[in-house]
Amino acid sequence: MEFGREKNEIQSAYSSKRVIIPKELREPNPRLWAFIILVGIALYLMVIYPVKSFDGYVDPFYAPTILILPIVGLFRVTCYAYRKDYHRHIFKHPVECAIGKREDSAKRAYTGETGFFRFENLHRYFLYASILILPFFYYDIYKAVAFNGAITFAALLIAINTILVTVYLFSCHALRHLTGGRVDCFGCKFAGQRRKSYFDFQSYFNAHHEQLAWISLLMFVLVDLYLRALGAGLPINFTLLHL
Amino acid sequence: MSEESGKRVINISIYRTDENGGGGYKDYEVPIQEGMVVLDAVRYVQEHIDTTLAIRWNCKAARCGSCAAEINNMPKLMCKTRIDTIKGKIRVAPMSAFNSVADLVADVSENYLINRQIPEFSPREAEIPWKIKQIDVERTKEFRKCIECFLCQDVCHVIRDHKADYVGPRHVVKAASLDMHPMDTVDRSEFLNNEGGIGYCNVTKCCQEVCPEGIKITDNAIIQEKERAADRFYDPLLWRREKKR
Ligand code: SF4
Ligand code: SF4
Ligand code: FES
Repeated sequence: MEFGREKNEIQSAYSSKRVIIPKELREPNPRLWAFIILVGIALYLMVIYPVKSFDGYVDPFYAPTILILPIVGLFRVTCYAYRKDYHRHIFKHPVECAIGKREDSAKRAYTGETGFFRFENLHRYFLYASILILPFFYYDIYKAVAFNGAITFAALLIAINTILVTVYLFSCHALRHLTGGRVDCFGCKFAGQRRKSYFDFQSYFNAHHEQLAWISLLMFVLVDLYLRALGAGLPINFTLLHL
Repeated sequence: MSEESGKRVINISIYRTDENGGGGYKDYEVPIQEGMVVLDAVRYVQEHIDTTLAIRWNCKAARCGSCAAEINNMPKLMCKTRIDTIKGKIRVAPMSAFNSVADLVADVSENYLINRQIPEFSPREAEIPWKIKQIDVERTKEFRKCIECFLCQDVCHVIRDHKADYVGPRHVVKAASLDMHPMDTVDRSEFLNNEGGIGYCNVTKCCQEVCPEGIKITDNAIIQEKERAADRFYDPLLWRREKKR
């Protein structure tokens, strides 16, 4: 549609072509390459040095198996919080909101979430899959406690991690849409008042979605490193409560 | 700020256009007053230094949205930005995502054009007066706080840097306020996804950062409309239901 805007040459030349791999992925972008290489190295290390579990403590990256990592990974890749982050800091569209600090963005063609990046709209499916995986995390808390007959610091970390993942999932925009976002008239619906209260409750968490996404990711890494340290024999676990 | 003959003054540089369509910054010295906002300084220049300076303002109370400009590279309302919150030099430019009229005045008329293309409010048949519950008022109330300053349109990189065919954040807010109206029957996510180019928005939230009314533009309007569009266009499980509707 025409909105009476004077066209940007780069953009109009580009959008006239239908491309499968968008410009964002083809242009020279050290940030993107560095990111791909780092993720590649991390995955490679996780596969060749697996610490699936140690003393009954299951590493969250391997819960229930590392094979589901792509699903969890794609859930985060299509998550609105991380979308903001990589569109800003990897693709630099725009790297900052302040006007003078993003000149280079205008000189590069842009597809945003049209074209290739439309796959981000599949976020809801990765959400459903992640919800199905969630019970395994709760089972791992049980296992961590039952295996050792005690609540240990490691078990506590695993429990905190599970709660953080749960809250992160709960604050998801796609879930918010499903539970109340798509409703236009709560008053016309059965139990509308309660549904609206629930929607407001979830919206409260949703407002902190970006922070939750990062806290939960960092916790994953932390627990993983912690369990690896235990596996290497570092004496950093201690009992909090004997059962 | 400098001390000159006992009078405190600030240096403000204002973008001035010339006849040839070009322009540049010009520096002015303005005496400081307690609680002064950028609009006061700009008006002082217009009244006392150069009466040809073109500016637009009405309410000086952050209600009309006409004094939108770029202050030190951030889109802001001139009447809501206090001088004492700015460290160092003050630089004022027009909103440059739009064509220029003169000096600080931008031509925001494309927004009225876009606004007319949004499918209009279409209420269902119901007994008059309508009875709407409080729980259904709250959600769209946020969107109706919009004062149409178009700061969000100005900061949005899709419009500003790429000139892509995207209606822009303000108009998604408008569409969402109609879509979420309990009496309305149209789903504007179809318009937004097809003609409206909502796919160009990459949820980077600059619009939400600059909105003087604190509207959660991206979280509450854009993402919700993207999810509605996903229902219609990207969710195979829902396609059959849509057809039956
Ligand atoms: S969130 Fe979307 S609409 Fe808002 S500034 Fe960013 S790209 Fe533009
Ligand atoms: S949504 Fe906010 S920034 Fe955008 S026009 Fe309305 S008040 Fe201004
Ligand atoms: S003069 Fe009305 S918003 Fe600034």
